[in-house]
Formats: sequence, structure tokens, C-alpha cells
Amino acid sequence: MGMKASNAIATFFKYFVLILVGLIMIYPLLWMVSATFKDNSEIFAGIGLWIKNPTLEGYRNALNNFGGSINILQAMLNTYSYVLPKVICTVVSSCIAAYGFGRFDFPGRKILFSIMLATLFLPQVVLNVPQFLLYTKFGWVNSPFYLAIWVHCAFATETYFVYQLVQFMRNVPRDLDEAAAIDGCNSFQTLYKVIVPMLMPALVSCALFQFMWSCNDFMGPLLYVQTPAKYPMSLFVKLSMDGDTGFAWNRILALSLISILPQLIVFFCAQDQFVEGISAGAVKG
Amino acid sequence: MSKAISRRDFLKVTGAVGAAGLLAACGGSSNSTAASSTASSAAAAESVAGLSTDPVTLTMSWWGGESRHNAYQDAIKAFSAEHSNITVNPTFAAWSGWEDTMSTKFAGGVAEDVCQINWNWLYNYSGNGQTFIDLNSVTDYLDLTQWDDAKLGACNVANAQQCVPISMTGRIFYWNMTTFNKAGITEVPKTLDDLMNAGKTFKEKLGDDYYPLHLGAYDRMILMVFYLESKYGKDWADPTTSTLNYTADEIAEGIDFIKSLVDGHVIMPLPTYYGANGDGATHQSNEWITGKIAGIFEWDSAASKYQDALDEDNKAGFTVGEEIKFGDYNGGFSKVSMGMAITKTCKNPAEAATLIEYLWNGDGAAIMGSECGVPASKAGLATAQAAGKINDLVAEANDKVMSFVSCQLDPLFESSDLKATGTGVYQEVFDTVDYDNASGADVVDTLLDGMSAVGYNV
Repeated sequence: MGMKASNAIATFFKYFVLILVGLIMIYPLLWMVSATFKDNSEIFAGIGLWIKNPTLEGYRNALNNFGGSINILQAMLNTYSYVLPKVICTVVSSCIAAYGFGRFDFPGRKILFSIMLATLFLPQVVLNVPQFLLYTKFGWVNSPFYLAIWVHCAFATETYFVYQLVQFMRNVPRDLDEAAAIDGCNSFQTLYKVIVPMLMPALVSCALFQFMWSCNDFMGPLLYVQTPAKYPMSLFVKLSMDGDTGFAWNRILALSLISILPQLIVFFCAQDQFVEGISAGAVKG
Repeated sequence: MSKAISRRDFLKVTGAVGAAGLLAACGGSSNSTAASSTASSAAAAESVAGLSTDPVTLTMSWWGGESRHNAYQDAIKAFSAEHSNITVNPTFAAWSGWEDTMSTKFAGGVAEDVCQINWNWLYNYSGNGQTFIDLNSVTDYLDLTQWDDAKLGACNVANAQQCVPISMTGRIFYWNMTTFNKAGITEVPKTLDDLMNAGKTFKEKLGDDYYPLHLGAYDRMILMVFYLESKYGKDWADPTTSTLNYTADEIAEGIDFIKSLVDGHVIMPLPTYYGANGDGATHQSNEWITGKIAGIFEWDSAASKYQDALDEDNKAGFTVGEEIKFGDYNGGFSKVSMGMAITKTCKNPAEAATLIEYLWNGDGAAIMGSECGVPASKAGLATAQAAGKINDLVAEANDKVMSFVSCQLDPLFESSDLKATGTGVYQEVFDTVDYDNASGADVVDTLLDGMSAVGYNV
């Protein structure tokens, strides 16, 4: 058997395994798409993709509004009206906080950093009541601008991202800071002219993670948004899910599919930067 | 040690911080069960300020599905048309996460003026009457006589009428007669013997895959209590003191009764069910949809959910069964399915009471229909029936349950530590019976320990 033939066989098997695993990974998503065209009994009858009695009920009902107060389009607009400020605030504030921890030696830095990391281990459930009481005092609950949901992000409260950025910043040589200083940059100029461009992949992955998490956040809006007309997608999708009397799954799945489309688009647009971002910290000299 | 904080120290500190936080969170919810079922505090209740002619804004909250959201909103619109100075701002969502949200709001004192509540919330969040007002103070606006004393009594906690029951619910059998007919059985099972014979016939005629009934772990617990109550004629536990009324021997007998159903091929063994469905609900299981499981023991309100789930061949056979008398007494309990309460933070209790009156005793009942179950209010039920808004299937099931059951439910029975899927004590007990072929005597202590841990006097 020549070299060429064995190469071809190896390539065939590589692709075979990759395609097989790829199919397994994407199957749930494909199933979800096909299930939007099935009715309840068919959905629970099996896990096949084939649709016996295709129906568009799911999509038709997805456009229903609830007593005229909220519909799918409004819900999507509502979602992005707090997700965008949340993402921007998170990236900016986390970057500044990480810069502080990563580049400056100030008294108590280590202990402050440890305390900050400790907050990473506090489950959200524990924070719900005190946060709710605080925001009630501020008058931010049910605020038309969703203040209770995103304002805290402007103060680097997303510890995970601060931690991630500090790790990335270690890879940016300090020589660059010094060179910038020699060229006359002050601390802030060093940050946004030198370090931020180097950190771009990491910042994009922070933004993307925060974007996905915020879009999927359910408990936050459920607590802080009380006017149905201001409900975001995460609440809207679940509005018709009544365990007592049952509900049509095809509609829930159709709604879910529509609601993840923007996320998928954003993900694919930012994919290159994102993948680079997650792997950049993996190999450190 | 050169570094300021070692990794181990760091983990210790964070662990301690986390644990302290969790403890604080748990301590917050009072589980007091001080309660009284006497509805005699009318005299003690202070009266409230009268109806205002100025514009008044009320807030209101409920959970549910789409049709309930629509019904409530229509009813509110009709209410505002009648009372032009009262504006009602609603907030609503599905059940999941709703209790967490509401408990947070109760704790913060910012819950809505009028709330649709779950019965055990009275004990969990207002055990001392700290959250909801005594509705006896608003009897000028809300006619409490439309509810039977027994139903009102169940909502009387800490000597205050904290809510009115919207609807009552209980468990009943539903049968898929398509499958029963295939097995040659034409009548719904009415006695224990019918049930045992059905098990035998199913096995012989239809094969090992077909069962006349399926009971999950929690369903088994409810049916066991049903059986014991039929046999001994006493409540499972005292609703006010949570003292268990049954001895270990009696309970072991109840568990053995369930075991006899499994052994007699009446109900599907849990390992078989889990093997195919995990902890998925019965109406979503292939066995129910295709008729291999031909019966369930469920809430009266669940009728349409189970009927709708059946495939085309089986849908027509769905039948509301009869309660089965296992002993000398009518066993089984009914419970308040949901209630409606006014919070203490409400600034306009008179208007809030007027809204409740409209929804459940007045014209609103015609709009609400059976969206929240068959109305417990007499006037409300009459109005809804006259409007033809009661789902026939649910009404039939509700009627059969209410005319049969005789016992009361205690608020601890539904504690999540006991009934939770996967981690609850009920499931642990009945899983052990099926997996280890254990007898009632083997597992009764597990049940009693679990029950005393949530506050029962065993």
C-alpha cells in the first residue's frame, strides 16, 4: 500500500470521525428546529427528526401577544435595551479593574484581589434578597430603564471577567508599558492605546459571554421587571408554560429558536476573535 | 510561608463566607405553623378605610399559562370599566421561578397589593400573619359567605383569614378506556378488586408492557395516604399541630399496599419507568401517549393536560374515573389549589377587596371560568356555569373529587424536602421498595425520619 493510499484512508477516517461527532453535537439543535413543526404527542413520541404531520401552529402562536401588552418583537427590543448597556459596562469596568490589579502595586492588592475572587463563589441565590432590598430602596425595581439589571456592571462586579482579563494581561509584556511611558503616555493612555488593542480577543470573548448570559438571564428580569410591556425574551418565552394545564411545546421551541437567532448571528460574526480569545491564554511562555 | 495567602487558607475563607451566606438565607424563611382553623376573628379585625372616589392604582400578580393571563387581563379590563377610578397594574409569569420571586418580594415588603398565592405560602411567608391582611376586615366589600366554612378554614392561619380559596383540588383516577377495551374491560375500575383484576388481565391479554395504572413516587405517597385514610378514617396528620395520626405499623401496611399493586402488575415498577423516561412527567412519556400506561391518579385540574397528550388513537378513550373506596371510609383529601390574598403593604384594601369580590363572586367569574380551577365560591361557580365557561372535563373531575373526599391536608405534606423529584424522601422510600424489593417495615423509618426532619410530630 503506497503512502498516498494510506494518507487517503487516514484522511477519510479523520473526516468520518469528525463528521460523526459533529452530527452528534449539533443533533439537539436540529431536533429543536424539527420539533417546532411537530405537535406535543409527536414531540414526546421519539427523538427522530422526521416530521409526520408538519404544522405551523408553533410559529403562528409565537406571534400571539398576551392580553395586548407584550409581543415577540417588543420582547426582543426589551432584551437588547438592557443587554447592550450591560455588555458595554461590563467590558469597560472589568478592563479598568483588571488593569489596576494586573499592573499596579498598591497596598492591600493581594488581599483585595482575594476578596474579589471570593465573591466569585457566592451563589446568586444568596445575593437575591439583599440586592432586591437595596434596589427597592434606590427605587430601581421595575425601572423603565432596567437600572437594577445593568448598572451594577459598571462597577466591575462581574468578577469572572476581571479575573480572566488579569490573566490575559500577564501575557502583555511590561516592556510595552515602559515604551509607552517613554513616549509620554500617562496610565490611561497606556491602557487604551497599548493594552486594549493587545487584549482585544479577550475583550471580545468577555463581551460575548456577557451577551449570552444576559440574554439567557431569567431570574434577574423576573425579579426586577414587573410591567408586562417591559418583559424581555427570557420571560416572554416562558409566559405560556403552565405546568398545571399543559402547553404546546412547538410554540415554546419556535419562540426559543427565534430568540436565539440574534445570538447565533453575533456569535458567528465574532467567532474568529472569540476562539482566539479563549485559546490565547492557554499557551503561556 | 512566603505568600500572603495560601490556596488552602483562601478556600477555607471562601467556604466559610459562602456557608454563612447560605445559613443566613435559610434562617430568613420562618416555618412557623401556628395556625387556627376557627374563623372567629371577625370581631377582632379592624375595619379599613372606605372606598375612595379619587383615582386609585392597585397592583396585582399571578402565575399561569397563556389562557389564564388573557382571562385575568380581560377581567381586569371589565373591572376598570365598572370602577372607573381604579386602575389595576398586573404582573404575571409562568410558575417556574415565581415562588422565588414572590418570596423575595414578601421579604422586601414590596409584593403586589393583590396576589394569587399558593396555599402553603400562608405558612411559609405569613405564618404569624405578617404578610397578608385578615380578610375579615374587608367583609363590607368582600362577601366571605360565598365560601364554605371548611374551605375558608383551610386559609385561616395565625387566627386571620389570610386568603380566600380560588379553587379546591384533589386527586382522582383517569383511565384510557381505549386500552382497557383492548384488554376486554369495558367498565372503569370501581373497587380494589377491579384494579387487581385489570392488572392480571392486562398482563395476560396485552403483555408485560401494558399497565392499567402508573404512579410516580409522589403519586404513590398520595395514594398510600388515600388508602390508609379509607381504611382508618383519620387525617394523615393534624393540620394545625402537624402531629402524624398513624403508627409505624399502619404506614408499613400502606407501603405494602403499594407494593402489592406493583407485584400484581397494576402499576409499572419505577425502575422500568425511569429506564424509559428518567424523571420526565407521565403525560410526556411515550407509554402514556401510546396507551401502554392506561391510567393515572392525578389532580382534577390536570384532566385536559393528560387528555391532550394522548395520540389520535387513544384520545377518545380518555375517561374521568371513579374514586375507589379501599376501606370503610371515604379516604383522600382536597386542598386549596390556589388562593387570593391582599398584602399588608396594600394602601387601598377596600378597593383590593372589591377587585377580589368582582373576580371570584361577581361578573368577573364569568370571564375567569375554570382558568384557575373550578371556582370555590358558590356565586362565582354559578356565574361561570351560567356563562358556559367551565371546562366539562375538569368540572366532572372536580365534582367527583369534592363529593367523595373527606380528609384534610396538612401544610407540611407538600414540603419540598419530602416531595421533590429526585431528592425527596417520598421518592427515596418508594424507589427503595422497587429497587431493593424492600417491604413496608424496612422503609417506614426512612419515611418517619424524613417527616420529622421537616417538622412533623411523629
